[in-house]
Amino acid sequence: MLKTLTDWLDDRTGLPGLTRRVLDRPIPGGARWGHAVGFALASTIVVDLVTGLLLMTTYSPSSSTAWGSVYYITYQVDLGWFVRGLHRYASFASVILGGLFLVRLVLVGAYRAPREVHWWLAVATFLLILGAGVSGNILPWDQRGYWAAMVETSITGTTPVVGPTLKKLIIGGSTFGNLTVTRIYGAHVALLPGLLILCGWAYAVLFGKHGYHGSEKSKPTEPYWPRQAFFDFALSSAILGVLSGLTVFTHGYSLDAPADPSSDDYPARPEWYFLPLNLLLHVFEGREFIATQIIPGGVVAGLLFLPLLAKILPKKLGDVAASSFVVTLFGAASVLIGVAFYRDSVSEPFHQARARADRAAERATLLATRDGIAPAGASYLLSLDPLTRGHELFTKKCLGCHSLGDRKPEESSASNLKGYGSVAWVRGLLEKPDSVDYFGKTPDCGGMQTWKESSKLTARELDAVASFVAGFAVIPEELTPGNWLIDPKVKEHPGFEPYKRECAECHTLGDPAKGKMEPAPDLFAWGSDRWTARMIRTPGSTTHYGFLEAENAQKMPSFGGQLTEDDLRMLVKYIKGDYEQALPPAKSSGK
Amino acid sequence: MPNRRNFFRLGAVGLVNLFALALAVPGLKYLLDPLGKRSGSGDFRKLARLGQLKIGEPQAFAILAERRDAWVKYPTEPVGSVWLVRQPEGSPEPVLAFTAECPHLGCPVNLAPDRKTFLCPCHQAAFGFDGKKLNDVPPRGMDRLPVELSTEADPEVAVKFERFQPQTAEKKPLA
Ligand code: FES
Repeated sequence: MLKTLTDWLDDRTGLPGLTRRVLDRPIPGGARWGHAVGFALASTIVVDLVTGLLLMTTYSPSSSTAWGSVYYITYQVDLGWFVRGLHRYASFASVILGGLFLVRLVLVGAYRAPREVHWWLAVATFLLILGAGVSGNILPWDQRGYWAAMVETSITGTTPVVGPTLKKLIIGGSTFGNLTVTRIYGAHVALLPGLLILCGWAYAVLFGKHGYHGSEKSKPTEPYWPRQAFFDFALSSAILGVLSGLTVFTHGYSLDAPADPSSDDYPARPEWYFLPLNLLLHVFEGREFIATQIIPGGVVAGLLFLPLLAKILPKKLGDVAASSFVVTLFGAASVLIGVAFYRDSVSEPFHQARARADRAAERATLLATRDGIAPAGASYLLSLDPLTRGHELFTKKCLGCHSLGDRKPEESSASNLKGYGSVAWVRGLLEKPDSVDYFGKTPDCGGMQTWKESSKLTARELDAVASFVAGFAVIPEELTPGNWLIDPKVKEHPGFEPYKRECAECHTLGDPAKGKMEPAPDLFAWGSDRWTARMIRTPGSTTHYGFLEAENAQKMPSFGGQLTEDDLRMLVKYIKGDYEQALPPAKSSGK
Repeated sequence: MPNRRNFFRLGAVGLVNLFALALAVPGLKYLLDPLGKRSGSGDFRKLARLGQLKIGEPQAFAILAERRDAWVKYPTEPVGSVWLVRQPEGSPEPVLAFTAECPHLGCPVNLAPDRKTFLCPCHQAAFGFDGKKLNDVPPRGMDRLPVELSTEADPEVAVKFERFQPQTAEKKPLA
């Protein structure tokens, strides 16, 4: 019964016969572990094809959705972290096995006649694996992928003659845009795997023609089944076991913060197998084309040329030359990778930049988990987070003069904004206006000190004024000064009367005389987002510190043209401490 | 020697299966992830005041909701629509609420051109204003939604928006 079925199948498709021929294929010199390297390489590629197909069911290729979908895979989908991690680690294993495979082909002499085409296919496979790795690294569109893409496409652009055109074709325009991720995705999931499968198929066909190579023709041969099959499967399973273990141990592969084109301290590094070229980039500073064009071009040309070398040179000499070439090549690459890792591991700036990048990644993940990601894209997670964006802006724009608590006041030339807007901050100002934390460093703003010297307010009254003024921050936006003033709660505030007596003389409350330069800032809604934003945008307006303008004194520069509305909002919220400090830990579906 | 051969034979077969399982088990778990995610059932949402509704005249209302879809959170936007039909004074239920999703295959049910019945534009399923089906296109009548009235003199009508499986004779909530 079974026999009739196999006979029928054999007759119609030839498959059972093919299987038998494969299983009975003679191996000169017998089964050995070394023969299993090629099979193991095929197996890691299969792992990547399977996990890749799974990831395709969730990943969304566009610059606004890529990060969100990878975040979703990593933190929300059942075992998503595992599938993504295994995909990544299996690609690393493919690179290593691809290299080993090439070295072995040369060492056993399987690169020369009649196996030249074998060899070229193997080299092509190796290059395709590198291409798949590089393109895959870009797809999450996180900081790592974005900056790697930036460097890699810039290098592509420097290729003589075709470079600029090629770069434009790859990224779909002159600069990164909506098409970039989609195009790279197309290459990663269709073009490159398609070519890889084609190479594998062609290799299998040629293998059927030439069979196992073996120099020991005299030794007895052994059929493929079962010993060599066992070796093949054992090595592949062991590698899968190690990769799975690595994935579980490292809890998958990390995801950096969403791509941020404005970041200026991200420690970009290529995939580890391109670290040698990255290192050479430093060596050949000023003549980068040696590292980006000549060396990689030369290596590929050399590899493709090896079978011809064997034709030119006598057999022994050719073998020695070819072997030393590949061994030196992959040996040197391994050493350079080690050197690159070592250099980073002892570089303090690298560690600091990496730690900042990790903090940003963690913050983005927490925000995405708590709030979800806006339809506009993941880049807004951090650019609309006061703690991240506000801190960045404060460091760049404000820290030169102001401090925010933790800086030594001697280094500042303006007030300390720690606690700005609070009762305590106002009370501190009323107590000692010429302290370095207030106007001590800005003698042109000496008005408060002049007041202090003649003030008759008691400590109690000062407390009341402080709480009165700190309350201005919450005056609702729709309330006009007139409507606010008729609220009995305002008139009855214990701070109102002393304020009227001593402060109102200089500080107006939403009722500045038209066109007249006020001698001190108007305090209506002082400390609110809008008052503070106006202070940053136009400190020289007549209702803020315009009087300094008139006197040609030391004053705060205007930041009006330098900040977008969103940035201004983030900066104000950051200064006021108006943001979520601690967040619940991100849900991570593993662990 | 036969024993050694058997070891390799069984070992090879075992290892192939192990390899496949090690990929298939996590792969399946990953692939089946959407089955484990529940669509949150909605709350009662205020749609109108009873006084705004005319007796016997269906009126459509959009259901506005913040929606979280995989990794994206959408701002408040329409996620569905509901027909409210006010009943004559003294009826046990002052207002009937029907989801506009057709029990046939999910298209949005509209009013017929003569405004006397409901009619689905996709395959002409017809329903009366009481939700009963008027032809055999749909498997059941329009799906009623729970209604809550507030206690004020002119009460607010709140509806709980839910979704149901199409193509079944009885109404089953969508998991
Ligand atoms: S979906 Fe309404 S009639 Fe088919």
